[in-house]
Amino acid sequence: MMRRPSKKAKRYEPEDYAITIEKLRKEFDGLVAVNDFNLRIRKGVTYGLIGPNGSGKTTTIKMLMGLLRPTAGRATILGEAVPIKDKLPCIGYMPQDMAVYFDMSVHENLQLFSELYSVDKEIFEKREEELLKVVGLEERADSLVSQLSGGMRHRLSLACTLIHDPEILFLDEPTVGVDPELRVGFWGYFRKLKESGKTVVMTTHYMDEAMRCDVIGMMRAGRLIAQGSPKGLIEKSSTKNLEDAFLVFSRGVM
Amino acid sequence: MKISRVIAIARKNFRSLRHDRRTAAFIFVVPLMMMLIFGYTFGGDVKNISVVIVNLDEGFMNESFSWSIISELNDSETFKIVDIYTSEDISIDPVNKSIERVRNAEIWAAIIFEENFTSDAIMNIGSLRQGQPFVPSGFTLYLDRTNPNVGAAVTGELTKDLQLLLILKYHLTPPVILETEMIYGEDTKFIDFFAPGIMGLAGLLVTFMLTIVTFVRERSSFTLERLLTTPVTEGEIVAGYALSFGILALAQSTVILLTGILLFNIQIVGSVLLALLIIYLLGVGSMGMGLMLSSIAKNELQAVQFVPIVFIPSILLAGIFWPLEAIPELLRPVSYFIPLTYAVDGCRSVMVRGWGIEEVWIQVTVLILFALVMLLLSTYMLKRRK
Repeated sequence: MMRRPSKKAKRYEPEDYAITIEKLRKEFDGLVAVNDFNLRIRKGVTYGLIGPNGSGKTTTIKMLMGLLRPTAGRATILGEAVPIKDKLPCIGYMPQDMAVYFDMSVHENLQLFSELYSVDKEIFEKREEELLKVVGLEERADSLVSQLSGGMRHRLSLACTLIHDPEILFLDEPTVGVDPELRVGFWGYFRKLKESGKTVVMTTHYMDEAMRCDVIGMMRAGRLIAQGSPKGLIEKSSTKNLEDAFLVFSRGVM
Repeated sequence: MKISRVIAIARKNFRSLRHDRRTAAFIFVVPLMMMLIFGYTFGGDVKNISVVIVNLDEGFMNESFSWSIISELNDSETFKIVDIYTSEDISIDPVNKSIERVRNAEIWAAIIFEENFTSDAIMNIGSLRQGQPFVPSGFTLYLDRTNPNVGAAVTGELTKDLQLLLILKYHLTPPVILETEMIYGEDTKFIDFFAPGIMGLAGLLVTFMLTIVTFVRERSSFTLERLLTTPVTEGEIVAGYALSFGILALAQSTVILLTGILLFNIQIVGSVLLALLIIYLLGVGSMGMGLMLSSIAKNELQAVQFVPIVFIPSILLAGIFWPLEAIPELLRPVSYFIPLTYAVDGCRSVMVRGWGIEEVWIQVTVLILFALVMLLLSTYMLKRRK
């Protein structure tokens, strides 16, 4: 059962939040990519960021990961202001581009990331076996990544993100190029992650996936235009689905 | 800095190379090719220069100085005598014909002895012995000096043979001679001098190229961004690269040394380890330079454009082929800015002169500074964020 976040019923303490964003802003040569927005994500929540291309989802995540320097504003992860080098071991980041090494095998890629996260060798072996099953690559452990299909590379990329069993996950379009059957498998795994208390922040273009998140944030032109549970947002906009809801909230902004 | 993460990055680079056999081969084949080609072509002196001789000399009392010289020239490997014309060929105008052949670049040189060559020479020798003044007589060389190396070989061999004959035949020992004592390099062949240059050049080029290409790929495939979101620090990435590509430079130098020893019998007077240390430092510095320049390049093609920019000054101005003294004064400051200059000079001093660290500490210090500055700058470049 999904827990419905009920803001009125309970007040949360700062340490309940995995991520806080305050008036975060990013400009690229005068172009505003992220426009002063606030956001709080509680620990253990699966949070979906949705919005069209160029709405600032990836830029926001990159600022949280310390890859981009915010122009203004402040963000914290687990109570610490970004960039947070010493909290990185408990964070897993899956970039939008399949950032894996093409001239190494699947196993070697996973091993590299486990070494960078100082994962114990025995634990690594167990996790590798488990993750390869989740992403459906157990037969391809020794294949060179350059010989894999695009979808397979994407799945390997996800496995690399999970290899150190992080507390907080940032997944930038994790299911692009993943076939429907595997997507079901992915979501089964995401649910398991949630059950074990992980915080998952993901961006997605698939509305059916967004429906599975606890909370979704709708982004447009660098701003957060609406936030709430998927059902709550649909009700609030008096529409039948998230697509229509998004259009309703978009109009409000323009 | 956590050493296990440094090693993880270094291992990654080795693994990529293991799967990319062609690049791995490139690292070893290119310097080998350089050694073989340069070793065999530059290895010895200039040989088999084609010449034509016109001997119109009539001799003097059954003696012919010109034929003695010709037989000496014939014995030397420097010349390949294509034709010899004598007074019997006077009908075809041998002098002008030979000069014409030089003009047509069929041959490099024509050597002409006139009718009275021997008699004039003997008369002059007589005058010399009696202490009377005389006008020196001679023979003529028509030379195509397009290639200065060929020119120098021709005049050098002729002068040498002439002097030798004067001593042997007429006991005319020059009153003053130059006595040469070799301080260093008594048995040095060109390849001995050249091998340290190739070691340095290959060490620079391969580490630089590998780094710049690998790193541009890290950027364009976003793996660098991903690395930076793991606990690995910028310094550890740079150290991992320095470790792996430094080791490659060392392995490469070892191959060059072994080829030199086995195929060309090169001599190493000094410590091989010190020579390898110098190459290692150069390799680490070049890696840092590649890493720095890779942040300026937007794609792999742009990155490769840096290769000639680094390669050409290095090959020409670092003293690999010519001593620094042969480089015009205007360009010499550039030479002193090129790290390869110090590596080649240091390596050469160790391998040919047998110098130790007490003598090459300047070169080693410069290279350590170069490596350190490049490592720091490339770490800084990685730390920059938009």
